[in-house]
Amino acid sequence: MKLTFSPEDEAFRGEVAGWLRDNLVGEFEVLRYRGGPGDEHMFPEERKRWEQKLAEGGWTCVGWPQQYGGRGASIEQQVIFFEEYARAGAPGRVGHIGEGLAGPTLIAFGSEEQKQSYLPGIVAGTELWCQGYSEPSAGSDLANVRTKATQDTASGKWLINGQKVWTSLAHESDWCFVIARTDPDSQAHRGLGFFLVSMHQPGVTVRPIEQLTGTSEFNEVFFDDAVAADIVGEPGDGWKVAMGLLGFERGVSTLGQQMQFQNELDEIIRIAKANGAATEPSIRQRIAEAHTGLRLMRYNAMRMLSDNGSSEPDSSSLVYKLHWSSWHRNLGALAMDVLGPEAEIIESAPYNLTRLQSMFLFTRSDTIYGGTNQIQRNIIAERGLGMPKEPKGR
Amino acid sequence: MDFTFTEDQLAFREAISRFLMTEAPPEMLREIWDTDDGRSPELRSKMAAQGLTALSVPEALGGLGMDDVAWALMTQELGYYAIADSMADTAYVATGLLSALPEATPRRDEMLSKIAEGDARFAVGHPVNPLVADVHLADVILLEHNGEIHSVRRESIGFERNPSIDSSRRLSRITFSPSDETRIVDAAQGQAIWNQTLNRGALAVAGQSIGLAQRMLDLSIDYVVQRKQFGKPIGSFQAVKHHLAQVAEKIEFAKPVLYRAAHALAQGEANVDLHVSHAKLACCEAAWLAARHGIQVHGAMGYTWEVDLQMFMKRAWALDSSWGDRAFHKSRVATAVLADGAPIGPQFTFGE
Repeated sequence: MKLTFSPEDEAFRGEVAGWLRDNLVGEFEVLRYRGGPGDEHMFPEERKRWEQKLAEGGWTCVGWPQQYGGRGASIEQQVIFFEEYARAGAPGRVGHIGEGLAGPTLIAFGSEEQKQSYLPGIVAGTELWCQGYSEPSAGSDLANVRTKATQDTASGKWLINGQKVWTSLAHESDWCFVIARTDPDSQAHRGLGFFLVSMHQPGVTVRPIEQLTGTSEFNEVFFDDAVAADIVGEPGDGWKVAMGLLGFERGVSTLGQQMQFQNELDEIIRIAKANGAATEPSIRQRIAEAHTGLRLMRYNAMRMLSDNGSSEPDSSSLVYKLHWSSWHRNLGALAMDVLGPEAEIIESAPYNLTRLQSMFLFTRSDTIYGGTNQIQRNIIAERGLGMPKEPKGR
Repeated sequence: MDFTFTEDQLAFREAISRFLMTEAPPEMLREIWDTDDGRSPELRSKMAAQGLTALSVPEALGGLGMDDVAWALMTQELGYYAIADSMADTAYVATGLLSALPEATPRRDEMLSKIAEGDARFAVGHPVNPLVADVHLADVILLEHNGEIHSVRRESIGFERNPSIDSSRRLSRITFSPSDETRIVDAAQGQAIWNQTLNRGALAVAGQSIGLAQRMLDLSIDYVVQRKQFGKPIGSFQAVKHHLAQVAEKIEFAKPVLYRAAHALAQGEANVDLHVSHAKLACCEAAWLAARHGIQVHGAMGYTWEVDLQMFMKRAWALDSSWGDRAFHKSRVATAVLADGAPIGPQFTFGE
């Protein structure tokens, strides 16, 4: 066990921090601490420019192999990058779905031609991606996909028909990766394909969903004879590709997420000290619990990453989502209790929430999106502990 | 020993419940809340016609003379249908305050009669609440100043509106100049009345929180029965069932606490603070859990503006820290239990 970073890594840390200090200024100053989860609707144009600014500095896709335009940074350096990025209060990345999900999937499963065609736009921060998985009838039951892909006999093109839902950033995206049923007679995870679909075509309609925050970060996306530009893998491989991709969701970016959590906790502690809530025994204990829960998360993430980023989920990664989502939900409640009777007062009419209110409301979705806590517990029990599967109705 | 309600009380509750079910559906509340004032004079006068504003005004002044125990039922209905603050504040909290004033207090009887007739909106400013609800339409605002009670008209004070996370709330920060003209009761008498008012406000929130919890539970049950995943209703999965069963458990274990506290307040019992704080904590906890588990079993749908659950969740969250937040009420319980010579032990615990 070695918990310190090498001199080279520390130098890298200095480089990252210095670049952010020099560049997160001017027109980007307004983006500090903005655009994260719960705030993704804010400053889209500035954040797109920021994405390209990062690319100019070589700070997109830092963990990708150099041959595909990445920095080929080690796990340690990726950790450092995400930590410094969050420490600086740099904004939520509009390109995170491309960099964190679409790109790694293409690198793992795409053809060489597909890699050459799609990866450069992600690295340059000029092409944004969204994820077409959930559907009205495919939520927790993700494999219950109804969206159809049919191959046009004349052109050989795949045509997509159906509806996706809860699609983050679809309204800002250029591309969507879609799982759709290639075999109309198939069920569940068999007979699916993984498609790359341009958002800029008549067959794609994006409709924003208004959230209880009064804002819209995610959307319904309707495909009506939309033409897929590509299929990754073979028809029928969709589930394998999609699940490989979910493995990428638990990556080094979790350490950046923890830094964001730390920023939130610091803010709550600052308020508690200022308004006297920190003298309340019940509040003190919950602040202490929040601190210990966050440390625990950090140690678990370090352990998770220490196997050199193997995408094979072990039990430390199976429990991770459940832990952070529950922790963050409690942090949201703590923020409201620390604010006391002032907690309900919003920033301004008609419905502009304060940062902590947005955080509080957003934490109510943390235990739902990306696999609910109940699904997570089933995964821990079934995949981690080898217990029998929950009976299904079909 | 009789821990039940009279037929009159239950019949009144039933009538109000049926009335609000048809007169205050969520789609209508959304329209009302969207307006600047956030209130509907028509709905208000219909509720008054049902007798709600007269409920605890003394019979001699044209009211029905019911007490806190009846209100423990009625506030649940106000919560269940997310009726805005003004009704409970006027008909229950302000009416209780005015009734407690010495009978010779100028305009006391006139104000109570007006409330009974449904013609007056009252707002109550207790220092435990940094903001006052429904000042913007109030005819009269009752305010605390160094233990005194002041009665002012809206035109004579300054107020700045502060929008809430709960779209039904209309809160204001108030500035006013207390004077001999505005004072209706001095501090010697005012202190006790303000303490009683705090308890009544807290109990009003407690009752509404139970109603909100029950509404969120009912909405959630409806949803998990019709929503299917893995080929069956999600309500058939144990993890989902247990979420809602736990909410039912919290609600059922909060109700008797609410009723016991209402009785203590109505009877002016010595340890009423303890009972009320216990009720506020238990009922708000039920509402918190109902919100948390309600949104969880609704999945992403519960996170949308369109689905009604959010209306009730936000109201539960907002009310949670009004009339004393959790820390305030926990500390009142602790103070009562840890006091030297506190009446604890079996002879007390089972002596009532």
